[in-house]
Amino acid sequence: MNDVLTAPFAPEIAPAPVAYRFQFRGTGREFFRIWIVNFALTLITVGIYSAWAKVRTRRYFYGNTALAGHTFDYHASPKRILMGRVIALLLLVGYTVASKLPLYVWIPTFLLFVGVVPWLIVSSARFNARNTSYRNVRFEFVGDYLHALGAYVGIFVPVVLTLGFAWPMAHRERQYFYINNHKYGGKRFATEFSGSSIYAVYFEALLFLVACGLGLSLLVVFLGLSDTTRSLLTKISANRSIAGVTFLFAWMIAYTFIRADVFLLSINNMVLNGRFKFIAVHSPWKIVWLWASNLLLVLLTAGLLYPWARVRMTRYMVENVTILADSDFESFTSEVFAPQSAVGEEIAGFFDFDIGL
Amino acid sequence: MNDSLPGRYFLPGSARFVPARAEFRQGGLRISDPSDAVLAEAPLAQMQISARLGNMPRRFSLTDGACFETDDNDAADALLKQSGRARVGAIHRIEQSWRWVAASVLLAGAVAYVFVVFGIPAIALWLARETPQSVNPVIAAQELAVLDRALLAPTKLSAADQAKAQMLFAEVAARGQRAATGYRLLFRSAPGLGPNALALPDGTVVMTDALWPLVKADDEIQGVFAHEIAHVDRAHTLQSLYQAALVPAAIAIVTGDLSQISQVATVLPGVLLQAAYSRNLEQQADDDAAVTVKGLGGDPGHLADLLQRMEARICRGSSCPPSWLGTHPETSARAQRLRAGAPTSSTR
Repeated sequence: MNDVLTAPFAPEIAPAPVAYRFQFRGTGREFFRIWIVNFALTLITVGIYSAWAKVRTRRYFYGNTALAGHTFDYHASPKRILMGRVIALLLLVGYTVASKLPLYVWIPTFLLFVGVVPWLIVSSARFNARNTSYRNVRFEFVGDYLHALGAYVGIFVPVVLTLGFAWPMAHRERQYFYINNHKYGGKRFATEFSGSSIYAVYFEALLFLVACGLGLSLLVVFLGLSDTTRSLLTKISANRSIAGVTFLFAWMIAYTFIRADVFLLSINNMVLNGRFKFIAVHSPWKIVWLWASNLLLVLLTAGLLYPWARVRMTRYMVENVTILADSDFESFTSEVFAPQSAVGEEIAGFFDFDIGL
Repeated sequence: MNDSLPGRYFLPGSARFVPARAEFRQGGLRISDPSDAVLAEAPLAQMQISARLGNMPRRFSLTDGACFETDDNDAADALLKQSGRARVGAIHRIEQSWRWVAASVLLAGAVAYVFVVFGIPAIALWLARETPQSVNPVIAAQELAVLDRALLAPTKLSAADQAKAQMLFAEVAARGQRAATGYRLLFRSAPGLGPNALALPDGTVVMTDALWPLVKADDEIQGVFAHEIAHVDRAHTLQSLYQAALVPAAIAIVTGDLSQISQVATVLPGVLLQAAYSRNLEQQADDDAAVTVKGLGGDPGHLADLLQRMEARICRGSSCPPSWLGTHPETSARAQRLRAGAPTSSTR
């Protein structure tokens, strides 16, 4: 937070803060046509076109996200993405096969993977940032391998030592690593929030899981009196696969809630250039609801409603973010320059590998 | 001139822009401000021009980091055509046509179906056959070590029972694709597994103690052995290993960005697919077993009897998963197919 400390004192008469709200202009109807055509082309080309499809999809979502009258854009070269995908595919197949082999093959492969993952994360974040622009200026990611190794691997040491209790702190480290290493026009993004606030998120998720378990037990006690429901419930509990799916679903809800709420925590405490504040007014449970209902719609329609589901989620996520500018945002953005290094796109990593923050 | 393109000109590497318009002049683009002063001029070949997509602004990126942006996509297309570019916005035109969209839906469904039902098993089978045989003992030793640690205990069958089973096994093994020494039968006690038998890729067949008392005729247990040996001969272990690796890979490639909705949407179809593939392999092994048992002068229907007795013992009530989740086909269906005299197994 050096930026805040070194920022000049506010003038006597502070200008009224101006709120710039993000807008999303895409529609499910329009994206459906783009998606299905690109999906069909991907299938006919045995997956090769998927790289081009990905770029078009990204461009559609970035290009329909507007801030202060300008849209974002995505510039990645599909050939680069294709190359990254081939390598990622080989790694995936190799990893799956190695996991079935004897320990003396599996353990070295696993260690190799542990070493490679931070590098994948850094180079994909760099690739994505450099290929994202707003008003002709590209984003940057300046995190390095060693810090990624710390945030994604080294962090497991305290987590294991505390039997998992340090996990929320590890989660916060990762958010810091990802967000605080992003720059726009040479100006840093920075987020900072208290440890207790992230523990509160995890506690709420835990309460939800406990409530689910209690609710299910109460259901058994009260409805279990009738013979048919009792036999139905025994059938369900006797069937490990159904019980497993139910548990998995409750777990996924808790997981989605944590991700959503930590995302909101990060955005709400984020500043750009030390003075432009971000405000996110989403409800985390609304995000969970959108996720669960979207999942159901997509599964029930064998994927056909996916474009509407994705637009619905994106619109909710995008349109509830606002930038609060304490001085003229317009003059800030028009003064922004891309640093020289960002122009040299060739330095960007080979990989495009979404970690899905 | 009427054919000038209205838009915005961003200064090199900057977020600052001025209103501008672009015209096509002698193989290049001339960008000028409202007072007709030329801001930039460059050949089209040196520019990166973004492909048309929806109604997103069109971008002409210059090599110096400047950029001309226009909201008038039709005019931009016209200008590019004027410059002699063919196939301007071909993908965009397909995306805009509901006829092509409908064709895409049908095509995607058909291709996905064919690939899932025939493609993945065929690729996995090919890979399994191309894999050097030398990996089989390695995988088998590993699997057996894990099983011995977790599920299996030394057998409690009498020496006489073991000798009888070995003799019956040898008859079946003589009909396998390998030399008779390519197979071996092991006995293990496995309370967790119940009556069961399993095959390892090196030709080892493991029979659990609980299976033996259920056997009422020799050709019943020979059917089980033949079923397991079919798994070995057809390299089913490797095939399902490759299928397990290919399913998530294929889903990841095709959907690419489905992670936005949830991993579940990609994992769940994967789990169901694997179960379906496994049921296919089991049916193949059943068909092969029927042929072997008939060749030995036995009755494949007896294998069906044994399978049903095994199921009654393992499932006891309703704890068996529904068939669409199971790794084996419904036992009643397997029994029916065996009794009906399965179609002559396709030997490749």
